[in-house]
Amino acid sequence: MSFSHQVIKQCYAIQGSARYTGLKGAVFNLLENPRAPIRPYFDIFMILLVLTTVWMLIYEVKNDLGQLGDLFEMVAVGIFIIEYLLRFWIFNDSHKVILDRYERAEFINQPFQVWPALWQALLEKLKYVVQPLAIIDLLAIIPSYRPLRFLRIFLLFRLFKLFRYTRSISEFVKVLSEKRIELVTLFIFMAFITFTAATAIFFFEADQHDSQISGFFDSVYWALVTMSTVGYGDITPHTTEGRVVTLVLILAGLGVISFFTSIIVSAFGEKIHEIRAHRIYSEVERKRIDTLICGFGRVGQVVADRLASDKRQFVVVDPLEENVRIAKQRGYPAVLGDGVDTDLLLSLGIDTRVTRLLCLTGDDVVNVYITLTAKQYNPEIEIISRANHRENVNKLHRAGASHCVAPYEVLGLIAAEYAGQPVAFEAVYGLLTGQSHEGIEAVRIKRESVLDGCRMGDIDFKQRKLTPFGVIREGDCESNEEGTRYSLQGRCLYFNPSEEFTLLADDLLVLFGHEYSVVHFRDCLERGTL
Amino acid sequence: MGRRDTLIFGSGALGHEVAMQLAERGIQVYLYSNDLDEVGGLLAKGLQAAIVNYMDDDKLREIGIGNWVKTVFCLFSDEPKNLFLTLSIRALDPNLKIVCVCESTSSGERLMAAGATKVIDPYEISGQRVHELIARPYLVEMLENTVFGKHIDIAEIEIPEHSTLSGTPLSDLQLDRRFNLITIGVVDLELGNQLIFSNSGVAHCMDAGDILVVIGPSQEITRLKRAVSEDSLEPISNITDP
Repeated sequence: MSFSHQVIKQCYAIQGSARYTGLKGAVFNLLENPRAPIRPYFDIFMILLVLTTVWMLIYEVKNDLGQLGDLFEMVAVGIFIIEYLLRFWIFNDSHKVILDRYERAEFINQPFQVWPALWQALLEKLKYVVQPLAIIDLLAIIPSYRPLRFLRIFLLFRLFKLFRYTRSISEFVKVLSEKRIELVTLFIFMAFITFTAATAIFFFEADQHDSQISGFFDSVYWALVTMSTVGYGDITPHTTEGRVVTLVLILAGLGVISFFTSIIVSAFGEKIHEIRAHRIYSEVERKRIDTLICGFGRVGQVVADRLASDKRQFVVVDPLEENVRIAKQRGYPAVLGDGVDTDLLLSLGIDTRVTRLLCLTGDDVVNVYITLTAKQYNPEIEIISRANHRENVNKLHRAGASHCVAPYEVLGLIAAEYAGQPVAFEAVYGLLTGQSHEGIEAVRIKRESVLDGCRMGDIDFKQRKLTPFGVIREGDCESNEEGTRYSLQGRCLYFNPSEEFTLLADDLLVLFGHEYSVVHFRDCLERGTL
Repeated sequence: MGRRDTLIFGSGALGHEVAMQLAERGIQVYLYSNDLDEVGGLLAKGLQAAIVNYMDDDKLREIGIGNWVKTVFCLFSDEPKNLFLTLSIRALDPNLKIVCVCESTSSGERLMAAGATKVIDPYEISGQRVHELIARPYLVEMLENTVFGKHIDIAEIEIPEHSTLSGTPLSDLQLDRRFNLITIGVVDLELGNQLIFSNSGVAHCMDAGDILVVIGPSQEITRLKRAVSEDSLEPISNITDP
């Protein structure tokens, strides 16, 4: 009983230890976690190590590496062994297996038996050893042990270790494994033809006096070399019957080869979008991109071009191949897919990293759906959505969009403005939308800045070629009749502030003037030389 | 139907939207289309709409083009229709204002070549809006609630003949103190259509025919318009140094 108590006590101690969990987490980040920043460096180090040991293996065939080479080999093998043991360690939590059994036993009031629990923990652990990649790891280590030198050829298994460290090779394997059924079918067909042809050639040629075929292995070898269209010509048929067999085999071989090629090509054709998408996901992850554009139609393109010229990072999602192609041509990361696809949004980090989502598709139903989904996964996210019909603006706001932009409404507004004041329309419109050099800009008054507590009348705006438009201040207020104060949902705009108006810290001073004037004003403010 | 000087061709969502916005500003329009269903829908919503064969120049003349119509909006959803209509109207009246909608930069250029006065690309503008929302959220929110939300208006005010304001520098008007209006600038038609910004440092002296561009609450604009037409607006400098 005391031993089992000891075990349980130890298990609980491990469970509660922050150091143990932290250490295990660190090792997990290093070896397994594809998102850990250290992982790429570790992978590159291991790839170089593997390649160096393999190169040494090749070099050693004809040369002597001396003691230094042996030492290097030992260090490398030491690293491989440590890696293997660490992977073995982080594979699962044995203490959890034991505690699970213990708690179950306690729950149903059964006496806890320590040996079966330990046995189960061991079995769980051993599951690691039979994993394909773990077997490769082991085979890369074992031949270094001197008595097993004859296994040296297995050192080549170190090359297979590269699977662990490179994503493209593992993607290749994944693509092929999805075509398992076709490949197995092909393999059976190939085996059948090889066997038939080998038997036939053996039957017709093996007993000839000048025959090059001395055994059945030779005929299988010949059949494969012929079928694959390699045709070394070291074994050739001499009898008419043998040549007929060869002709049939060659035709069958063409079929096998083309079948094989088409399987591979179609597998990649089907998967290429997924592989590309994975590339984009990791790029998005690495660059910490926080803006997602759903829909790369005309509106999306304009937004993307402008964001790019602001040097802001973003990723584009669009279901049309044509649009994705345009995005890629302009050098933007783009994923082919529908914004309605929740898994896609999650892969792009909608629940964690993305802080701004732009729903710019031409379909309001899709926009509402994406808005709702995104809001559900990330209530903090800022969503700007396009509303293609006037009546959908409310729905989008209810779904959680922070802002809606309605192309038709904007057009209506502009057309109406144009009908009202056509003369200076271009200039005024450019001014309001920030498309001309002359424009409206906001300057934030920082705490302790020169303007904190300053009267408007004391600032010489005229000399700086600026016109004060208003001041935006945090806090609610009522719009007043005279039109000097406007409520802006939690903020207040004081339009055309009088000379007595006093600026406070955190106010936004809205100015209109040439961009150079504003930049100069900001600069002066920053240096306190106003 | 009575005479109205603004016409809209194309009665889809766009035409509807523009007609509503214009109606809110007190501009009554007629909508024309060759699509029976769309016209029916607009009539049901209480708008003045009719069917017209826009390919027939005589029909266009009948509805006042080349005569009393001053502004035409071409808001068909297909570009060829807009292009055809622009060409026809321009041939009938070289001075009419034609506002067109387009879907891409290249079609915009074609429409301008066909004689449109102003081409609006709703997608381009929406895209810019979205970008502005990201780049300058506070300002956009402010403009959306005030200027575009119709609390604050922009107005163009023409200086009449023989006004006492002739010859006064723009800076002496001081509309920001006397009217709660901000002067954006002035357009001197003799110098072209360029807006001279009030803060550009150019000392512009006003004369009759100049157009003042101001921004502010609508009641203040009305007050200024009245003062200008009654010629009761004295430049500040006249008051301070008699």
